[in-house]
Amino acid sequence: MTVLLEPAAPAPGALAPGAGPAPRAWRRLRRRPAALLAGGALALLVLLALAAPLLAQLSGQDPNAYHDDLVDSARGGVPLGSFGGISGDHWLGVEPGTGRDLFTRLLYGARVSLLVALGATVLQVLLGVVAGLTAALGNRLLGRLIARVTDVMIALPLLVLAIALTAVVPPDFPRPLLLVLAIGILDWGGVARMVRAQTLSLRGLDFVEAARLSGNSTLRIARRELLPSLAAPVITLAALKVPTNMVIEASLSFLGVGVKPPTPSWGQMLSGAQTWFRADPAYVLLPAGLLFVTVLAFTVLGDGVRTALDPRAGSRLRVGTRKERTA
Amino acid sequence: MTRFVLGRLGGALLVLLVLSLAVYALFYVAPGDPARLACGERCNPAQIAQVREQLGLNDSVVVQYLHFLQGLLAGRDYSGGAAVLHCDAPCLGFSYQNDRQVTELLLERLPATFSLALGALVIWLVVGVGTGLLSALRRGGATERVLTVLTLAATGTPVFILGLLLLMAVCAYLQWLPFPTYVPFGEDAEQWAWNLLLPWITLGVFESAKYARITRSSTLETLAEDHIRTFRAYGVGERALVTRHAVRGAVAPVIALSAVDFGTMIGGAVLTESLFGIPGLGKTLIDGVRVVDLPVVVGVVLAIGTAVVIAGAVADLLYAVADRRVTLS
Amino acid sequence: MLRQSHTSRRVAAVAVSLVLAGGAAACGPKGGTEKAGSGSGAPGGAPREGGTLTVLNAEPQSDFDPARLYTSGGGNVPSLVFRTLTTRNREDGAAGTKVVPDLATDTGKANADATEWTYTLKDGLKYEDGTPITTADIKYGIERSFAAELSGGAPYLRDWLVGGESYEGPYKNGGKGLDSIVVPDEKTITFKLRKPEGEFPFLATQTQFAPVPKAKDTGVTYEEHPVSSGPYKVVKNEGDGEHLTLERNEHWDPKTDEERKAYPDKIDVRSGLDVAVINQRLSTSSGADAAAITTDTNLGPAELAQIGGDKQLAARVGTGHFGYTNYLAFNPKVAPFDNPKVRQAISYAVNRTSVVNAAGGSALAEPATTFLPEQEAFGFTKYDHFPAGATGDAAKARELLKEAGFPDGISITLTHNTAQNRQTGPEIATAVQQALAAAGITVKLEGLENNAFNERRWDAKNTPGFFLSRWGADWPSGGPFLAPIFDGRQIVTNGSNYNHAQLDDQAVNTEIDEIAKLTDLAAAGKRWGALDKKIGEQALDVPLFHPVYKRLVGKDVKNVVISDWTGVLDISQVSVK
Repeated sequence: MTVLLEPAAPAPGALAPGAGPAPRAWRRLRRRPAALLAGGALALLVLLALAAPLLAQLSGQDPNAYHDDLVDSARGGVPLGSFGGISGDHWLGVEPGTGRDLFTRLLYGARVSLLVALGATVLQVLLGVVAGLTAALGNRLLGRLIARVTDVMIALPLLVLAIALTAVVPPDFPRPLLLVLAIGILDWGGVARMVRAQTLSLRGLDFVEAARLSGNSTLRIARRELLPSLAAPVITLAALKVPTNMVIEASLSFLGVGVKPPTPSWGQMLSGAQTWFRADPAYVLLPAGLLFVTVLAFTVLGDGVRTALDPRAGSRLRVGTRKERTA
Repeated sequence: MTRFVLGRLGGALLVLLVLSLAVYALFYVAPGDPARLACGERCNPAQIAQVREQLGLNDSVVVQYLHFLQGLLAGRDYSGGAAVLHCDAPCLGFSYQNDRQVTELLLERLPATFSLALGALVIWLVVGVGTGLLSALRRGGATERVLTVLTLAATGTPVFILGLLLLMAVCAYLQWLPFPTYVPFGEDAEQWAWNLLLPWITLGVFESAKYARITRSSTLETLAEDHIRTFRAYGVGERALVTRHAVRGAVAPVIALSAVDFGTMIGGAVLTESLFGIPGLGKTLIDGVRVVDLPVVVGVVLAIGTAVVIAGAVADLLYAVADRRVTLS
Repeated sequence: MLRQSHTSRRVAAVAVSLVLAGGAAACGPKGGTEKAGSGSGAPGGAPREGGTLTVLNAEPQSDFDPARLYTSGGGNVPSLVFRTLTTRNREDGAAGTKVVPDLATDTGKANADATEWTYTLKDGLKYEDGTPITTADIKYGIERSFAAELSGGAPYLRDWLVGGESYEGPYKNGGKGLDSIVVPDEKTITFKLRKPEGEFPFLATQTQFAPVPKAKDTGVTYEEHPVSSGPYKVVKNEGDGEHLTLERNEHWDPKTDEERKAYPDKIDVRSGLDVAVINQRLSTSSGADAAAITTDTNLGPAELAQIGGDKQLAARVGTGHFGYTNYLAFNPKVAPFDNPKVRQAISYAVNRTSVVNAAGGSALAEPATTFLPEQEAFGFTKYDHFPAGATGDAAKARELLKEAGFPDGISITLTHNTAQNRQTGPEIATAVQQALAAAGITVKLEGLENNAFNERRWDAKNTPGFFLSRWGADWPSGGPFLAPIFDGRQIVTNGSNYNHAQLDDQAVNTEIDEIAKLTDLAAAGKRWGALDKKIGEQALDVPLFHPVYKRLVGKDVKNVVISDWTGVLDISQVSVK
């Protein structure tokens, strides 16, 4: 929904086949410190998330263990001690009410956030590309129909329908998978629209025309000629979809239809934390900060990827340095 | 042009039909028995059966949907106890949980939603486009870096966190503003604005980030075009270049995107409306989902769908008007 | 079961609602007994007339129709507009659990076996338009509550009145009335019941007993402007009860009404607000909020933690008790809960400290070992058949499991609500899960969305084996607390069933009938207590906690009265001058 009309999408044919774009893109990406920093931070986060059980063992804490002795029951269960009960045992303090260890809960929460955001993105790209290609290459009626459906998909009250979907599905269906499916199935419109537009303009280009004239089937053209050219804009859009999906997951968890307890997720922690804003700021700021930084990092990285894949568009963050302007 | 409009209209109607059917079916299978919810918690089976009968829930989903369509096209009558209630076409149904006609309910809720979207629109046009232009003008400098960081920060903040932080900071800590309570424009215009200020800022700032980026990149793109180079060669100042000439490149995409966002916001500002307690369509929808109030849910979704389809068409038109290079197809 | 003092069915702190204070809006009535002092922490002095009282609520007064409201003792805002035959005593604490006359001259005269109740109206009772209130209007008001269009009220009238089970209201069958309500003249009304009901005076406090003039009845739209019999009338009702403006009803005669003080000139009810916003506004108390209260929102744990050190703010917090029990329910028809030893093992393993903390800490919940709330009015009799101590007795639980044939522990599923309401939600479920793990019981959590959760637990054919549940009183007595849960004849197979354990014990059923015959409520209380203790031996449930309600008022609010009947600050007693 965020990127539907952005003119900065790579021009068709910017990466004509056979140009060996990957190494060049990597070289360009390497020259962008912000993107590299963001990438580094994300790599670290993924690593931490993967190593969550190990780190939990190292800190000696179980993310789900209750510590009744660490909270002040008479005062609503606020953690005893300063900064949300930070101690040698609990590196980032404990959760109010339960006394559960925040460090390990945040780590395990990262797993959910990352998994759902990435999984949903993959699904969106798959559905979007198929729908977009079909809309552009299928017959007139089908094309129009898909285009209109895409319009509506983009406009749907995503959160509400996702809530309805999560309510309809049986409760023992794995929750993270359900979130991936709900977000993926409901929010592929942006990708489809972009793919359709790109394909329509690519279709008229010489190399595609040539392929068609030499008698190749539509399917073959789509696979051999169009998909490689679509790779750059699709990857760019996907990179920007990841943070959006992360926010959606957080919103759903925030609304209480996310992962099952006691599995932690950042959005779910936030929904429990928000009233603690004044009484225990650390409890709010930790998940909010992590979510913020992660979404930010994904956005910066996504933008870096876009610039790297399409130098002409330039970064939407920081273009127009003197050198580029004169170039 | 006429063909474009008619074609668009036909397609839109078809899509709305499919959409309403899909939503109807989805919520039909969703858990929660509308009769039991309408009846109350301690209803006995006989009473629930009566309510179910009265709500028309004994019919199959297809028949119910057809009744819904019939109401939409020709109007319907509903039992209102002491008197029969007539609902004129286009009738979106009668909500027994609200004791209101859905059409009436939506019309009543629309001004709040519209107010919210309107203010947000102004903010993103002023703040978003302004930020984009400023950073295009000051590119390479410290100002741009600061703006970039701010833009990114706004992009990275989920709207519910932004709203909550604002609420706590402005109303609880600093006490600059009272806690927002929606006041209709017709009742007191000044109070209307004061109470909507925070929701506007929340939504506006959230959306501004996107507009700043688009404005900036479109402006820069235009700046790279030949005629601007010519101006520059003639010694036209950078400021004049950006504000008088390059900005034109941003007009079309900004207008087009604004139309779509405005349309989406008619039903999409669920989180903001709930957070600030604005009695708009988004909140109505969420409340309807809670109590499985099918007529309300389908009604709001249809309203949203309509708004979006209209916005999409308007966007295309505006885009074509603003940018002559595009032709309508 | 009463879930909230009013608008009960909209309560549903559903996943989708932005329950900011984590269910503060979701729970039942709240308020205080250890009241913030008559005159509260606010500027002292006697309460005076005048001013505008602002009410900040989460739930709108959507069904402001006396037929549709489900209230305990007539509700709060509703009781400003609707007078009933009897009402609750508007006094602090335990004294507030008494029934007192309202429109009637006494709390009712019963025949010998309490199957007929007769009331006589006071003199000088008028509606807001000056016309006199008659018993025919009370009869009509009750009759219309039977109409399917106006459903929502409590089930008692239908269950108790002769012919009630088949009556469909005055809009059908040519406006036929209900013959078991007899109106010999304008001042007298007699109710004929199917069986003895000693607690009928309690029922007569509910809004269905408010008079409705037939000529003014507009069916489902009556709620927009119901005709007032109380001290205030509705002058504005916007957004389906979201914004309600009440002003003085000049025809209300204070001499006929000993209960309602009605100090403010005007009452402005704003609802649909976020619970966090309500509490912040009350605590900030700026402008009109200084004279504001809430009748449906209590303080959450975070707010209590914050208030903790602030003496001024703490003085504005009232504490309320309302008959409510949160418990772990078993369905003994499902293995392994058919084995009493397994149920006992779970009773021993529960850590009530964790549970109380999850419910908001010791200020918001009291650990419970009895099903009945700890109030004399309910007939509370202390017992603890399976003493788990403060934090659970895992050793004893393991021992029992071994005896039950599970030496290696068991694996079970706990069904809960996904709404984060600190009542039947995930917070409580995970606390139970953790405690049982220590006793070798592996708990798998099954979270259901609010509607699905309620349908599952109320479905006698498909009740989960082990789940979180709660029960609240329709009035402060053991009857509406124990009968729906343990009376075998109240097992409902094709509707909402609350007898989760599906207990159908002849001895229990008989005792319930015997107690219902008593019109001496104190004597009845003792026997309810004894019955509760007796049923408790079967370990059909594990009582977890009784919620406590903390309520904040604006800084200019005086005369805060919180009874143990509603646990809510009584709006009719509040003064803002």
